[in-house]
Amino acid sequence: MKNIVIGRYIPGNSFLYKIDPRTKIIALIILMVAVFMLRSLIFMLAGLGLIMLLLAIGKISVKRVYLGLRPLMFLLIFTFSFQILFNTQGTQLIDVTLHYTVLTIPLIIALFFFWMYTKKIIRFKLLYFFFIVSLILSVLIFIDVGYTLNQGALTIYSQGLEMAFFIMLRLIIIVTLSTILTLTTKPTDLNLGLESVLKPLKIFRVNTEEIAMILAISLRYIPTLLDEANKIMLAQASRGVDFSEGKLKDKVMQIVSLLVPMFIISFKRSDELANAMEARSFVPGRNRTRLQTLHWSSLDTVALSIAFVALFTSIALRIFV
Amino acid sequence: MNSIEIKNVSYQYQPNKPVLQEINLTIKKGEWVTILGHNGSGKSTLSKLIIGLLKPKTGEINVNGIPLTQETVYDIRQKVGIVFQNPDNQFVGVTVRDDIAFGLENLQIPREEMIERIETYARKVNVLEYLNKEPHALSGGQKQRVAIAGILAMHTDIIIFDEATSMLDPKGRNMVLETMKQLRHEGKTIITITHTMNEALLSDRIVVLKDGRILKEGSSQTILKDKTTLEKSNLEMLLPLKVLYDLEQENYTNKRIKDLLWELSLNV
Amino acid sequence: MGIKFKRVEFKYQGFDEKGYLALSNINLTIKPQGEFITLIGETGSGKTTLVQHMNALLTPTSGEMDILGAIINQETIRKKSVKLNPIRQKVGLVFQFPEYQLFEETVEKDIIFGPKNYGVSETEAIQRAKELIKVVGLNESYLSRSPFNLSGGEKKRVSIAGILAMNPDILILDEPTSGLDPMGRDELLKVFFDIHQRLGKTVIIITHDMNTVFHYAKRVLVMRDSYLVYDGDPMNLFTKKNIEHWNLDIPDILKLTYQIEERLDVTFPTRPRNKEALLEMLKELEA
Repeated sequence: MKNIVIGRYIPGNSFLYKIDPRTKIIALIILMVAVFMLRSLIFMLAGLGLIMLLLAIGKISVKRVYLGLRPLMFLLIFTFSFQILFNTQGTQLIDVTLHYTVLTIPLIIALFFFWMYTKKIIRFKLLYFFFIVSLILSVLIFIDVGYTLNQGALTIYSQGLEMAFFIMLRLIIIVTLSTILTLTTKPTDLNLGLESVLKPLKIFRVNTEEIAMILAISLRYIPTLLDEANKIMLAQASRGVDFSEGKLKDKVMQIVSLLVPMFIISFKRSDELANAMEARSFVPGRNRTRLQTLHWSSLDTVALSIAFVALFTSIALRIFV
Repeated sequence: MNSIEIKNVSYQYQPNKPVLQEINLTIKKGEWVTILGHNGSGKSTLSKLIIGLLKPKTGEINVNGIPLTQETVYDIRQKVGIVFQNPDNQFVGVTVRDDIAFGLENLQIPREEMIERIETYARKVNVLEYLNKEPHALSGGQKQRVAIAGILAMHTDIIIFDEATSMLDPKGRNMVLETMKQLRHEGKTIITITHTMNEALLSDRIVVLKDGRILKEGSSQTILKDKTTLEKSNLEMLLPLKVLYDLEQENYTNKRIKDLLWELSLNV
Repeated sequence: MGIKFKRVEFKYQGFDEKGYLALSNINLTIKPQGEFITLIGETGSGKTTLVQHMNALLTPTSGEMDILGAIINQETIRKKSVKLNPIRQKVGLVFQFPEYQLFEETVEKDIIFGPKNYGVSETEAIQRAKELIKVVGLNESYLSRSPFNLSGGEKKRVSIAGILAMNPDILILDEPTSGLDPMGRDELLKVFFDIHQRLGKTVIIITHDMNTVFHYAKRVLVMRDSYLVYDGDPMNLFTKKNIEHWNLDIPDILKLTYQIEERLDVTFPTRPRNKEALLEMLKELEA
């Protein structure tokens, strides 16, 4: 729970911090559209290059962004493998036979267990994972000893390979863009920006102030609730709940023992908070003045212009190339 | 002039389980009144009635001469502030500055004036240096003083402390008590709800609640030594008075010591 | 045996790399029976972190602990050669807010939850619940009630019964009397003292109330900025130590004694431990 990086603000002072949150939100939307306009891997690579440039001049460490991507690693690997294995368009690049023999199968199982037990002590887990995967593949491809149980084929097509990289890059770029927004924008500013950007929705009778207030209160109380959840876990662990073990039946009980106190405490808390807010003259839906204000500067005009240039470029590429 | 008049007020959450019955109480402007009572005596319900978070079943409440109704409740909440027990559940803003601003934003105070008021009252309760801090970086005592600043900034003249010190450590408690004394000095009307005698002692008048009724009402000095009333309502006498009482039971004669004990009990 | 801290240090890992030291160089021994200890110190001084080490909810980031024979250090944790769950049965920890643990439909089910986790049969656990509900000052009619419709003090008692039902050797309570009125507080303190005396268990209480410390404890521990700065007799702490800078209050009985001495310009030969002792001293003064 302590390693959630998505949505966290890290103080800094590069130009990215000085851009108005409204600009950042709108630019994020524009750039996402631009990214979805792109149709070829070359352009996507160019896009990634531009993002790297943005990170460099914005003084954001790639490590931070990587930490933001890490929870999505499974999704990335899954889409990548899916494209490689099942996309059969284009020319055939690789076609090898996989040998499932009485020797290779136990070898693979042994490798798997070796990975299971050693991954805890290895520092570069992801690299290690790929290393083991390639080891398993080489075993299947090159060792053809012993009685053959079955044979399979590994076929990779040019389009499959291209699409795999294409989709993975698109995902990485989009997540990186969102991470830049949250890394460089204070929660209060983000909230103010969202409220302001959502304002046009008022004509559809959407109460944007209330949405903004809900967001603000959530931002304020998420750390408190996480802390509370941790305390409840410790309190139940003190009564013998072992969260790392247990059969399915026990697991259900364990979750109930966390959720019930969590709900009850949250309800009590929101009740008290509502009282405190009302006592301080809060009336839902009534106009409020604001202490925090946003300022549009020439930097914002420049940033927004660049975002639009990126959008038009990608539209042009889509039409003419 | 009267700050608060409570006339024949009753309240119940569930039918036939009255929490408050026939409460009559008048609090003058600039007075400091303690509402003393055991857990579940109805004292917190009373504070919610005064600020219009609950509506009395019968009876009426006047604040600054204005009857509390559906129409006047928002005006009255500008005049009455309340500090609740749990410091974490009343901190609305993401930072101290935002939190003090919250009430002002609700009152639609212009931004320039807000900035001015925030600074004035943050200085007054001694949290000026924490204006940019987030709540988790503050102690309980500091959070409660931020709540007080938020109320003062709204220019309220009646402040209710609903067990506001009961979750604090001794240092935090003393911080808040000091702020209360300062407020009295400035002529604010103060209502403290507590079961701690040391706190009750600071006030001018004590109202003892038991099972939803006013058991006794009087100056702090008379209530403090009223052993029967205190015992009846699960409360504890201050130590010097307990000693004095025991000595008197045994026909102790040294008047000098007896006078001294009485005197000491008044400035614990 | 008992609980032994050897140069224990604990660092909370924050988002930034620095982290935050909650315990520094703690050396401490607690006997498995017969102790009545209070733990005091400002909010944030490390009291809660310290007791959460005693039942292995947290484990030292440096140093070693011996909890009733189980050796806990970085190495045994990494190798998983020590089982932490059984420790929590022997060292019971009651959290400050009962709301953190109550979750069952009835009080009885909630009390038997702990013992059942440790393999006690349901009938045996129910038997324990029936006894313990009385030990904590409630009666059997409470067992069929919902824990959520109880008053704050009653919830607290049920949560204590839930921990006692695991039959721990050592019972730790984190601020068990905060928010209770004087009567509720005194009743509960008597319950703890009774558990200590009749059942012979070691009881450790975190509190901010110096009167409790002075009246009940045989031994007092003081935490200050992650260090254990005092371990010993409460009388010695409050009369001999210069405790101003630890932000601790002085117990009312001593405060009153000092005031009388100052105003009457006398010096009493001893320091009174309770009201009765002070009364005797005052009577002697009269004579």
